[in-house]
Amino acid sequence: MKKLCALILALVITFSFAACGEGGGSGQSVAVFYYTYSDPYISTVRASLSKSLEDLGVEYQEYDSNSSQTTQAEQVQTAITKGATCLVVNIVETGSDDAAEKLVQQAKSADIPIIFFNREVSDKIVSSYDKCAFVGTDAAEAGHMQGELIAKFLLENYGSVDINGDGKISYVLFKGQDGNAEAEYRTKYAVEDANRLLSDAGKPPLSFYNPNNRDRYLVDKNGNWSAAAANEYMTTILTEYTEKGKNMVECVICNNDGMAEGAITALNTAGYNDGKGRTIPVFGVDATEAAQELIRAGKMTGTIKQDAQGMAETISHLARNIAGGKGLLDGTESMNVDENVAKIRVPYGIFTGE
Amino acid sequence: MENKKNTAFRRGFDEYRMLDPAEKRRRRREFFINNALYIFLFIVIVAIAIYRPRFLSVGSIVNIISLSAANLPIALGIAGAIILTGTDLSAGRAVGACACVAASLLQATGYANKMFSSLPTVPVFAVIIIVCAIGGIIGAANGFCTAKFNLHPFIVTLATQLIVYGALLMYLTLGTNNGQSISGLDLSYTEFINGSILRIGGSAVPNFVWYSLAITVLMWVVWNKTTFGKNMFAVGSNPDAAHVSGVNVSRTIILTFTLAGILYGVTGFIEGARIGSNSASTGLNYELDAIAACVIGGVSFVGGIGKIRGVIMGVVLLRIIFVGLTFLSVNQNMQYIIKGLIILIACAIDMRKYLVRK
Repeated sequence: MKKLCALILALVITFSFAACGEGGGSGQSVAVFYYTYSDPYISTVRASLSKSLEDLGVEYQEYDSNSSQTTQAEQVQTAITKGATCLVVNIVETGSDDAAEKLVQQAKSADIPIIFFNREVSDKIVSSYDKCAFVGTDAAEAGHMQGELIAKFLLENYGSVDINGDGKISYVLFKGQDGNAEAEYRTKYAVEDANRLLSDAGKPPLSFYNPNNRDRYLVDKNGNWSAAAANEYMTTILTEYTEKGKNMVECVICNNDGMAEGAITALNTAGYNDGKGRTIPVFGVDATEAAQELIRAGKMTGTIKQDAQGMAETISHLARNIAGGKGLLDGTESMNVDENVAKIRVPYGIFTGE
Repeated sequence: MENKKNTAFRRGFDEYRMLDPAEKRRRRREFFINNALYIFLFIVIVAIAIYRPRFLSVGSIVNIISLSAANLPIALGIAGAIILTGTDLSAGRAVGACACVAASLLQATGYANKMFSSLPTVPVFAVIIIVCAIGGIIGAANGFCTAKFNLHPFIVTLATQLIVYGALLMYLTLGTNNGQSISGLDLSYTEFINGSILRIGGSAVPNFVWYSLAITVLMWVVWNKTTFGKNMFAVGSNPDAAHVSGVNVSRTIILTFTLAGILYGVTGFIEGARIGSNSASTGLNYELDAIAACVIGGVSFVGGIGKIRGVIMGVVLLRIIFVGLTFLSVNQNMQYIIKGLIILIACAIDMRKYLVRK
C-alpha cells in the first residue's frame, strides 16, 4: 500500500514537472538567471522581462540563483545541456572576473550568445566573446545623480535642514553590501559629488554624524541591502543623536530604497517624517513603488529611478536579434552603448515626485 | 523565599571561609570561569559607558530593551527546539513569511500599491490570529515530521525552510505585487506595534516591548509550571526514560515545535510593522542570531537544559554588542569576530559546567 502510494506520488510529480516544461515552439529557448528572486528591484525586472519575452513568442525558463554563484554555475550548465539557445545572466559574483569568465567559456563552447544584465561584468569579459553583451546601468551614475539630487535639495533648503544651525549638515549613509561595485560607487559618489556642489556654492562639506567612524558609512553586515539593518542602525543612532542634544542627524543617504524605508520607519517611531511635523531628508536609489509613494506622501525626499522596464525591453531586443538571426547589437544605435565594448547603458533618472 | 536564599548564601560563605587557601583559590577561579560571560558583559558596559556616556542614557537603554524585545519571541521558540536536542532552521523564513502576510493584510486602504486592492481594513487582532496560525502550522509540520518519521529536526527544518521560502516568493507575486516589498501599512497596525503608551524619561517605549514581555512571562509559566513544560525537559534529557515514565514523547515534540511556530508568528507580526518594509529577504538568518542567543544563555545542545532567564540574557548580550560597537564605531568586520568568540567561549564554559555536574 505504502509503495503504491509512493509510486503514484512519484508519477504525479514527474508528470506535473513535465507539464511545466512544455512551452512555445519557435525553436528558441531563452534561459534567464536571476541572482536572487528576493530582491524587489530584480522582481520588477523579472516581471517586465517575462512579459516582453512572452510577447516575443519565445520559450523561456527562469532560474533563481539564490545569491550563490555555485548554484548559478550549475544552473547554467544544466540549461546548456537542456538545449538553451540564449543565456541571459544576472551574475551573482561581481567581485572578480573568474565566475563570469567561466560562464562565457561555457557559452562559447556551446556556441550560444550570453547576455549579462544588471550586475556588471568587466569589459575584458564582454569583449572576449563576440556573442556576449552587457545590459545594465552605469554603476557610478546612480551615485553621481544621488549626489546631485542631495546637493540641489540641500542648497534650496539649507536653513531648514540645518537643525542645530551650526552651518554644517550632518549625515548618515547606509551601505547595502561590502564589496559590491554598485554599493561602493553609490557610497563614494553620492557624498563626493554632493560635497563638490556644496563647496561650489560656498557651503561646507557634509559631515558624518559620528566623527569617530572612519568608514563614513554603516553597512548591512549580512550584505542584504535590507530595511531591517538600516532600521536598527537608525533607531540606535536616534538614541544618541537628538535634536535636544543639538547633534541630530540632518540628512539620511541610502544605497537603495529598501534601506530608506527602514530608516524612515525608525524616524517615524521617533516622531519624524510623518508627513506633517519635521522631516529629515532621506534619499534612496531604485524608485520602487513603495518609495514613490513615500515621496508623494512627503515622508521621503528623493530617489534615483532605475528603469526596470527599459532594461527588460533592451534585453528582449537583443533576444529578438538572436531569434531573427541578426547581429547581437543590431538596431541599438539609438541606445546608450559604450565605446569599443558591447555594453548598453539604461539611463537612471531623478525622482522627487514631481 | 528571599530569607531562605539569604541563609543558604551565608552558609555557603561560612563553608568557603573554612576551606584551606588552595581550595579557596580553586573556588575563586571556578567562580570567575563560570561567570566569565557576566563579568565580561559588565566590563564591556562600563568600558563603553566611560568612553561614550550616552550609552547608559535612558534613551539608549530603552533602545537596547526594544531591540532585544523584538528578538526575544523567536529565541524563546527556538530554545524549546534546542532543549529537545534539536534546532530549527526554518525560524527565520517563518518569521519572514508571517511578516509579509501580516503586512499584506494590513496595508492602508487607498495605498496606491496595495497588494490586495479590494481588501477592506482587517482588524489587527484577526491578523495576529492568522499569522500565529500560519506559524503554528509550519511548526506543527516540523514537529510532526520530527516525531513521526524519527528525523532529526536539523533535516526537517532544513527542508521546511525551503518550502516556506518558495511559498513566500509565490505569495509575493499575488495581487498586483510582482515581488515588490510590502509597505504602506495601516495606522492601526503601526500604532499597535510602534506606538507607545508609556514614556520613560522622555523616551517612548514601543508597545511591542510589552507584548514581548507578556510572552516571556507566559513562556516562563509554560516551561516551569505546566506538565507540558516538565515533559519537554524530560524528553530533552532522555526520551527513552521519558517514554518509560509515561510521557507521550511524540505529542510533546509536536507541541514544542507548534509553540515555537506560534512564537515565530508573533515575531513576524512585530517585525512587519517595526521595519515597515517587508520582502522575501525579511527574516533571513534570524534563526542564527536566535540560536546564538540561546546557546550564549546556556540553553544546551545536550538537551534538557535551559532557562528563560538564560535566553533573555543571550538576546540582550547580542544586542548590547551590536549597540555598543555602533556607539564605539568599531570596525564593522570586528563584530563578526567578537560575536564568534563570544559564542565559542560561552558554549565552552557551559559544557564545562555540565561535565562537572555529571
